[in-house]
Amino acid sequence: MNYISSDDRYREIIKREMSKLKRSVKIKVFTSKSISSNQTKIQECMDCGLFMNLIRIYEENSNGFLTIEEMYIDENPQFSKDYDITRVPTVLFIDEEGRELIRYLAAPQGGEVQPFVQALFAFAGAGNYYEATIKQNLDRISPSTIKVMITNSCPYCPQVVAIANLFAIAASGKIRTVIIDIIANPDIGKFYDAAGVPYTVINERPAISGMVGPNEILRALIGGKIRVQY
Amino acid sequence: MYNIELEELEPDKVWDLIVLGGGPTAIGCAIYAARFALDVLIIGKTFGGLIATTHIVENYPAITSISGQGLMDMFRDHMDSLNIPYISDEIRNIEKENHHFILHSYFQKFKAASIVIATGSERKKLGIPGEGEFAGRGVSYCATCDGPFYKDKLVCVIGGSDSAAKEALFLAQNCKKVFIIYRGDEIRAEPINKKRVHDNERIEIIYKTNVIEIKGDHTVKSIMFENAKELEIDGVFIEIGSIPASDIAKHIGLNTNQNGEIIINRKSETNIPGIFAAGDVADSPFKQAITGVAEGVIAAYSAFDYLKTYTIEY
Repeated sequence: MNYISSDDRYREIIKREMSKLKRSVKIKVFTSKSISSNQTKIQECMDCGLFMNLIRIYEENSNGFLTIEEMYIDENPQFSKDYDITRVPTVLFIDEEGRELIRYLAAPQGGEVQPFVQALFAFAGAGNYYEATIKQNLDRISPSTIKVMITNSCPYCPQVVAIANLFAIAASGKIRTVIIDIIANPDIGKFYDAAGVPYTVINERPAISGMVGPNEILRALIGGKIRVQY
Repeated sequence: MYNIELEELEPDKVWDLIVLGGGPTAIGCAIYAARFALDVLIIGKTFGGLIATTHIVENYPAITSISGQGLMDMFRDHMDSLNIPYISDEIRNIEKENHHFILHSYFQKFKAASIVIATGSERKKLGIPGEGEFAGRGVSYCATCDGPFYKDKLVCVIGGSDSAAKEALFLAQNCKKVFIIYRGDEIRAEPINKKRVHDNERIEIIYKTNVIEIKGDHTVKSIMFENAKELEIDGVFIEIGSIPASDIAKHIGLNTNQNGEIIINRKSETNIPGIFAAGDVADSPFKQAITGVAEGVIAAYSAFDYLKTYTIEY
């Protein structure tokens, strides 16, 4: 897996964008230093050390507004039970009421920088473009999980990820998003027969393959027409 | 690009120009509009457009060779340097109100004094059994996106265009074998790419053949030809051209030709004053990123010109 390099243009984008963060936000990253020795069934899908180096770039450039809480599952195996961690590294966005909104089984690098930054800002309370319509239709959405399967070479994946993340943040705990790099997690891709990305699975129903827009995702969540009042 | 302030989306704000689309035509248009000091917003379903899925672009002047994604990253940087906001959304209706337009999406309502439609085109489908069923499970429209799944596997590219040749060349880097399946008797790639295809030992062209079915279980296993022969295959990449994304144009009464392309003049004007069109969605005969950008720039200038005579009524 290629991680961000010191001269990567995306490092500059992270620096530029994270410096605009004006509200505090905290996310958890679950890692392990010795995954093979703790006798758990947890898989290491990406190198935790390199992953943390990447995640710290976001934190270091946020003027202290982003806090990354690194959770070592070796030191506290109970974490894996409490937070349903089956592989590391895993990033969780957990709201103030303890609800998991977003789970990343993917590295926010390359094109995935943009949706990750957007999610951090929205999670911190910045404006969310989709929020009004999501709220208007919230009573028609049952508790849902959107799984977005991606690869790092996919130009359309970041756009689907951005929409799914913003939906989850707008939905007050009713929507949970899981972002999965299926090159790093081939077993998940195989489980869903995914051989193309973006590959979006909503509530375990048949997947939507390819680029999918916000109205299509919302319609799939509702199972009917979207109610809109400006 | 990243964090548009919601105050900018205040419903009563009348934007000088709203550009619909997310490809090079739309971004090129918006860059010029911003430099003309127009208050411009881009609303697109897919940032990057179709060219973002092209693994190599070698005909964009001044850039010898670059990936489609890399080219669009440069467009994005340019756009960001001018603080041009971009929203990921789709407009479902446009109405005229007094002297401006109201654009409706499922998430917001926007007002604009002028509009450029640069929604580009969408991949054409084969329309054969198995194509929809195995989409994302062996059927793909994007080698750049899905090529990594087929390392050391057998794949085919259906189509005979330059894009099909480039997809095959990209896939041949990692696949065991790539079949190009084309109904004609000579692929229509640019001479340089045609030679590369012919020189590549991993690529085999099957001419004068139509695929009539894609078969498999969980994923694609084979394709059927019209002569009843079957070819075992792991992945099918469909590259048979594109169709203009002009639904919104037809919905609001813009004139289109028999191909569904919006009819424009040399100023990128449509039959509705204040609405312009450019790029793959318009009726230009030669569709390239560079020609789309040029048309987008002309559309921006025409919108700028149009707005000189425009006054908002309060």
